[in-house]
This record gives sequence, C-alpha cells and structure tokens, in this order.
Amino acid sequence: MTTSTQTFPLIQLRDVVKNYQSEAGVFPALKTINLSIERGEFLGIIGKSGAGKSTLLNMFTGVDELTSGEVIVHSSGESVSLHNLNENDLALWRGRTMGVIYQSFQLLPMLTLVQNVMMPMDMSGLYHPRKSRERALELLDMVELIEHAHKLPAYISGGQQQRVAIARALANDPPMIVADEPTGSLDSVTADHIFQLFERLVQSGRTIVMVTHDKGLMPRFSRHIEIVDGELLSEGGIQ
Amino acid sequence: MRPRWRKVLSDLIDNKARTTLVVLSIAVGVFAIGVIAGAYRIISDDMSVSYAANNPSNIEIRMDDFDEDFLNTIRKFDGIKEAEARRVFNTRVRPLGETLWTSVDVVTMEAFEANEVNLLVPISGEIVPLKNEILLERDVLEKMDVVPGETLEVQLRDNSIKTIYVAGIVQDSSTGAVDFLAPPLAYISTDTLKLFDQPELFNRVFATVEIGQDDDNHINIVLSALKEKIEKNDYEVGRTFRSLTHQHPLESTINAVLGILMALGVLIVFLSSSLIANTLSALLTQHLRHIGVMKLIGGRDKIIFRMYLILLLAFGVLSLLVAVPLGGQGAYALAQFIANKMGFLLLGYRIVPLSFFIQIAVGLLVPLIAGFVPVIKGSRVTVQKAISGDTSGETSEQAEGGANKESRIDEIQLKVTRILADRGIRIQRPLLVSLRNTFRRRGRLMLTLFTLTMGGATFISVFNVRVTLHEYVKDVGNYFLADVTLDFDTPYRVSEIEQFARQDPRVTHVEGWAFSGADILYPDGSTADNVSLLAPPAGSDLVNPLMVAGRWIEADDKKKLTISEGIYDLYPDLEVGDYLPLKVNGKEESWEVVGVFKFIGMEGILGYAPYEYISRDQNLANRSFSYRIVTEQHDRGYQEMMAEDMDAYFRESGFHVQEATPGLSTLDSASESLDILISFLLIMALLTAVVGSMGLAGTMSMNVLERTREIGIMRAIGATDWEIIRMVIIEGLLIGMISFGLGIVLAVPFTYGLSWIVSTAIFETPIAVIFTPMGYFIWLGLVILLSVLASVIPARSAARLTIREVLAYE
Repeated sequence: MTTSTQTFPLIQLRDVVKNYQSEAGVFPALKTINLSIERGEFLGIIGKSGAGKSTLLNMFTGVDELTSGEVIVHSSGESVSLHNLNENDLALWRGRTMGVIYQSFQLLPMLTLVQNVMMPMDMSGLYHPRKSRERALELLDMVELIEHAHKLPAYISGGQQQRVAIARALANDPPMIVADEPTGSLDSVTADHIFQLFERLVQSGRTIVMVTHDKGLMPRFSRHIEIVDGELLSEGGIQ
Repeated sequence: MRPRWRKVLSDLIDNKARTTLVVLSIAVGVFAIGVIAGAYRIISDDMSVSYAANNPSNIEIRMDDFDEDFLNTIRKFDGIKEAEARRVFNTRVRPLGETLWTSVDVVTMEAFEANEVNLLVPISGEIVPLKNEILLERDVLEKMDVVPGETLEVQLRDNSIKTIYVAGIVQDSSTGAVDFLAPPLAYISTDTLKLFDQPELFNRVFATVEIGQDDDNHINIVLSALKEKIEKNDYEVGRTFRSLTHQHPLESTINAVLGILMALGVLIVFLSSSLIANTLSALLTQHLRHIGVMKLIGGRDKIIFRMYLILLLAFGVLSLLVAVPLGGQGAYALAQFIANKMGFLLLGYRIVPLSFFIQIAVGLLVPLIAGFVPVIKGSRVTVQKAISGDTSGETSEQAEGGANKESRIDEIQLKVTRILADRGIRIQRPLLVSLRNTFRRRGRLMLTLFTLTMGGATFISVFNVRVTLHEYVKDVGNYFLADVTLDFDTPYRVSEIEQFARQDPRVTHVEGWAFSGADILYPDGSTADNVSLLAPPAGSDLVNPLMVAGRWIEADDKKKLTISEGIYDLYPDLEVGDYLPLKVNGKEESWEVVGVFKFIGMEGILGYAPYEYISRDQNLANRSFSYRIVTEQHDRGYQEMMAEDMDAYFRESGFHVQEATPGLSTLDSASESLDILISFLLIMALLTAVVGSMGLAGTMSMNVLERTREIGIMRAIGATDWEIIRMVIIEGLLIGMISFGLGIVLAVPFTYGLSWIVSTAIFETPIAVIFTPMGYFIWLGLVILLSVLASVIPARSAARLTIREVLAYE
C-alpha cells in the first residue's frame, strides 16, 4: 500500500509482533513494538545477545516477515507498508531506498571492491553502467579505499571491508542506512573510524539506524533505545 | 562488464574443478549422443548408397554347373535386367613361405572389364587380373599379410601346390553380404580356372531385376519363375538369395545395434543430467549467501534467475566446445569401423548436421533442464534464509528458529549404536560421524546413488549379456559338434570313408551326412524362402539341438523335418504336427514339422531330416558327399591340425577332397561380430561408469567443502589428518557400497532387457539369459577404487588446511 505524504516520520513501526514457532512452543522475539524514526536521526538500538535487536532490524529492512503489525516507510513522497510488498518489489525498493550493512560485511568475494560497490546500481538500474563505475570509485574515494579499488575483498582488512560495505550501502544514494553491529568484529580503533564515517553521513542528512550491544556507544547516537527480551525501553523506562 | 556478468564469469572460472566436473558431465553425454547419432546417420546414408553404387544383384542362384549359352537364356528371361555368371569354389591359399593356409572362396568372372553386377571397388593394385593372377577381397587381409605384387601358394584338389600372382586388392560389398559365415573372397578370370583344375563352367547366377529393385515381392516372383525355368532345363538349384538394391542385407541388424547404443547414449545423458543437477544444487547452496546479498541490495528473482541461467548456458557451451569436435570425429570413426566390418565404403568425412544440432540441443538443454529446479529454488530463496545460510529442507528438518531435529536415520543410528554398546561392541566415533554424514544430504545422496547405481547396473549387465551371447553361440555350436567337416566332390561309401578315417588313431567317430536344399512355399504355391536341409543319421550325437517345440528327427521319419525358428517369420502360427508345403528337387511336397529349434536367424532357415530318408531319396543310400569326423580332442587348435591332416591324408589316398574345415571355424565370424558389439557395449558401460564416478567425486568434494568448518573444529579438538581422511573415505566407500548393492539388484532386469534387445537384433530370437560373477567382481573392484579415489583427493585437501584457515572458511 502506498500513500503520498511528507509529514510523517521516515520509519514507523506500529504494533509489530514477531513470534517464532519452536518445538517448545511460541517464542515471542518482538512484543508489540511501536517506534518512529525521524529523518536525519542517528538511532542506536542497544541490547544484549538474543534481546531481539537484529530481529527488529530485519523488520525495518523487510528481510524477515512479521507476525502482526505494520512497518511503514515514508520516503521520496511515498508511504510504503513494507510487508505488503512482494519479495521482488521489496528487493527493488530496498535496493533504491535503503543501504544495509552487516557485521560480517557480506561482500561478494569473487568481485573487486569497485564491482561490489557497483552491484546495487546494477541491480536497481538507477545508473548507466559507465556512470555507476565513476560513482563507485567516488564512493571508494570517500571511504579512503580508492587505491584498493581493484582488489578482491580477501586482500583487504576487516575494517577496510566494512568501509567498502558502507560505500556499497551508499551506492544508490538512499535516504537511510540500516547497520547490524557494523563494528562488532572490528578492533576499537577501526570501529571508531567506522563510527566517525557514520557520523559524517548523518551530518550530510542521512538517517542511520544502528544495532549494537556496546552500551559505550550510547552517547554518540542522536537517540538510543534499549531492547530487552523483545521489548523497547526508552531512556530509563518502557516506551 | 556489468558486475552481475562479472560474477557469472567468476563463478565459471574461479572454481575450475567444479566447472570441469560439470562441463565434463555434460560433454560425456553430448559426445556419446553425437557419436551414435552421427554414425547412425552416416551409416544409414552411406550404406544404402555405397551398396547400391556397386549395383548389387537382386537375385543370387547357386546351382549345377552351366555354360555361357544357358547364361544367355537367363539374360533373356522376362524381368531380368542384367545377369552375370560366376564360378565360385573353395580353395586354400597362403603367402609364399608361410605354413598356415587360409580358406577362400574363389570367384571366377568372365570379363572383369564388362562387370556390371556386384561391382568391385579397387583398393590397391590392379582391378583386372590377367591369366594366373588373383585379386583378393579386403577381408582376406584380416587373415594374412599380403600386398599386390606378392605371390600366393594355392592348394589344388589333388593336393598339389601351385603359385599365383596377387594383382590387386578389391572391395566387394555385395557378393559376400548375404552370407554371414562365408569365408573371404578372391577373384580370378576364366583363363585361370585351369590353374585350379576347375572346369570352365559357372555355378552361380547374379542378376538384377528390370523393375522393382527394392520390392522384395516382385524380386521373389521373378526369382521363383526363373528358378522354375532353370529346373525345367534339368539344372538343380541349391540355394537362392534375394537382396534389395538400396538395402544392405545386414542393415536392419546394424540399425538395431546402433539403436541399442543410442539407448545407452540417452542413458548417459540422463545420468549426466542428474550429476549436473546435483552439482548445481550444491553450487546454489554454496551461493546462497551471495544470492541473499544480491537480493538485499536490490536483486530481484528474475535477475538472479537470469544470472544462473547464463551460467548454465555457459557450462553447456563449454561442453559443446569439447564434445562436438570429438563427437564428429568419433561418429566418423565408428561409422568407418562398422563400414569396414560390413564391407562397404563411406562417402567421405563430413559433419552430420542432424547430429550437430542434436548435440547442441542436448548440450544446452540438458544443463538447463537439470539445473532448472535448483536455480529456480535458489533464486526464490528469501533474503532471511539466504543471509543466514539456512538450507533447511535440503538437510535434516529444522524447526523455524529452533534447533535441528534429529532425523530418523540419526535415531536409527543411535538405537543401533546403543544396542551394540550393550553387547560390548563399540563403534568408533569417527565411523559414526561418517555414517551420519553419508545420510546428511539426502537429496544429493539419492542423485549420487542413482547415477552410480545405474552406471554399475549397466556395467554388470553388459558382462552378463556378453556371456549370454557367447553361451548362445556356444549352444549354436551344438549343431556343429564334429571336429572336422570333410566334404568331397563325389560321393563315397560311408563305410569306406569311415574305415579310412579310423586308420588314424586320433579319429574316434565318423558320420556321413546328406544335404538337400528345398523351397518353402506359401499356401498359394509361390516361393517364400529356402531351407537348407541337413541330414545326419537319426541317432547322431553330433547335433545337440535347442528345441523350442516338438521332437528331434527319428530314423523312420519320412517327409518329416525339424525346422529352425526362422520359419515363424513365414508361418507365424505354425505348430508341431502341421504340414509345410516344400518344393524338393522340383517337386511340390507336404512335409510334417515334427519339431522347431533355435538357431541364428540371419543364417536363414535350417531344417534337419534323417540321413536314412534323405540319402535314399537322393539315391545315395550308404553314400555321402559330406562327413563329420570326431577326434580325441576338441579345441580349436587340434581341430585345425586334424582338418589339415585329414585333408592331406584323404587327398594322398586319391579321394577327391573338396574341403576339410575345423568344426568351430563356422562360428568364428559370428563370435567376431559379437565381440565387436560387446566392445561397443563395454565402451558405453564404461562411459556410464565414468559419469557415475564423476557423480561420486563431485558429491564427495561438495560434502567435504561444505564441512570445511566442521573439519576445522574436529582438528581443533584433536582429530588427526588420518582420522579426517579416514572419515571421508569411509563415507565415500559407504556410498559406493550402497550403490553396489542396489546395482546388483537393478542389474537383473537390465540384463534381461538388454539381452532381449540384443539377441532379438542379432539372432532374431530371444535367448536364455546367463549371469556371470565377472561383471559383479569387476564393478565391485571399480566401485571401491572409485570411491576411495573420489574421497581421498578432497579428504587430503581438507586435511592439509590449517585450523585457522578452516575456521575462517565461509
């Protein structure tokens, strides 16, 4: 379902519930989540392992199905109810509207860095192949990896791979970026560099939702929410 | 290049072993189909054209000696277009200085320059032999080494030896084509007959008909009328043959054999497609995360589907690059081989468009069809499943978001292990892991087992069929139990020959046989076919028939015969006790069929009647032209020696010996042809085995690759290299042994089916199936070897990885 509007927050979660069926019975991963994310926010979702933070992130990206409720994204003059889209429309929408970053980088190992960054542009068809190459190189330059552009991911460090993943997330110039523990497998110095990169992106007007288990990062988010056992706690209390 | 196509290219070239495996799997099938389809087409086109190009006779009549005047009478006969006379007699030749004689049928032609029927094709040397010169048919070269310009020794009836100059080598695709068991041919002109002490008379007519050269009914009508005319002129007709101008007499047999090979080719394609499905399914499982990433960044089903479709097509194109040129060469080589054996010439090397297109279609369609399901499944996988690497459904069942459930096989294994443990039998943990691993990917296991089992069953069946066919030929040898057949030009008293022969202490038994030819008539009186009537003494032990119905001949049988199964082609409803209209010595008679026996169908119809009756009927009571001699030993070498000795002995004693032949030599051509067929079947069986083993090798390397991390963990907790290797080898062996067990069972229907098809094609009759342990043992050895080889390479590479490398593996 799509409706034209400009006044709504960028992302709205309305009564989102996610249950997993197991032999032991129903396991509630998300318990009636209501959340709004405004444009330009750098939102941190903080929780321990198994709290439901990645499940929540999968609701934003439409990667996982919800049990009930609704996730609406208001972007480019359109309101999209993610879980009403079919898998193909969702893939195209996600490719054009949202950059996704994972802890394990998820680069395609057989492609060079520049080809990895070009891939979203190729998939969405938003850029001409020649233009997409130029743009990919610009983005690699932005993340300070231009000299490695033609290397395979296996030949660069983890931190560098994560920067490539960020460049790839920015390929189609999406208004929002969703990151699942992007610094989780990096050393503290590299993690800090990545974080600084996110801060610069927020300053340039992008909305970033980031999941982390590291409470130490709390002060650096423009807003943070804690998630415990599938429930959201806003600064100090249940939402 | 767009990144998506760059990825496809990388998928194609990065994992060279996998690409080679898939490409070779497709190529084996494409090659097999290409070779057989190409050979089939070349042979069907060239055999009839090449055969017809030599203007083959439609009618061959073997009869009493006749002269040029009578030939002119035949030439003028209504319906006859061309007629030529030949004198055909048997003699023995050998290259000068050699000791071994070779039996040849010498064909005397009146005028080589004016030869119009059964044309000779020059191979080397001269095409027209002068006086005291001889041309040899190519087949002679298989028996002895000789080239034009050399001299041969020939043995005459009076045992004297003369020499003759070899003028040239020719090919005669027509004269010998009708007679499967005839000796090779040689050609002389009438001037040379004196050298052989032969009269300047003819004994065979080769004629073509004016119209309807491809109409068997019409040829039969002309032949019947001509035969009647010949017999009215007081000539006795021995045997007649009919042939169509555009159909090689053995065409249907060759086509049937190629048909069988084609069926095996299709089986190979089928097996290779299951191997491709398996490999692609594994490839997509490995690529699941890549698919997830592509979907995450905007890739839709159709883009992913198209990417993998192109990958499949690329596999197909690569396999075509390998298989098409090889297939084209193979097709021509196979056709050439068959043409050589069958005695006709091919029209030259060429690409067969039909075979070319079939190969392209198979090469492109097989991977598309085989890979369609895995690709469609892979492209439709959800991002969530793809990113998490969840391949449930393929492996053991997994509850959503929950832990893996124990599979039934795991449960069974656990129970068995506990029961054994209670009895004090402890199965080592690595062996248990191997057992569990074998059944972990059931879909893959099924496909691997299917491919390997089919390959094994075909392999075993071919060995069974080989023994079945040879045993049948041996059974047919029961009609030729004598060690030496001694034919004379004139009849001698049986007691005289027996007395002479028995003077050699190595001779244990002698029988005089009679022979008669007869026409089988249709109810309307027209000639249907010939029957060669052999007449051994009724109590003879030298024939041990394979009776289908009724009984064998008895001494007091009069106008009664047992007849070979070929009679059912003419009289399908014939039953024992029925009367068969025959024309014997020009007289129409009714003979009672007292029995029906099995024989090689393509050898024509054979009948047996008692010597006691036939010899009296021919006014040859107690005399005979033909004798069967039994010697002390019965092997081929001994028979050959005895044939030579008997020949020399009787000639020296003044008897007019025509020929002395070793008993088993009759079956040589039949055995040789069977060996050719069997070697083709074995090649096809080996190809199926190759596909099967490639399937196993692929499965084992995929299994090991997917368990790299698990192997790393096992090594981290103390497993040695050898334990890892042993675990993988046991898994491979287990798959091999399961497939062997299934193959044993499946080989039974395969053997019955294949032997039915082959025997019907070759012998025109189904034959009793015989099983041999040889195929089972060889396949068992092969399967063990293949299983170990298929496992040891991936196992060694896995064991070589460092713990850090494996645990970092993704």
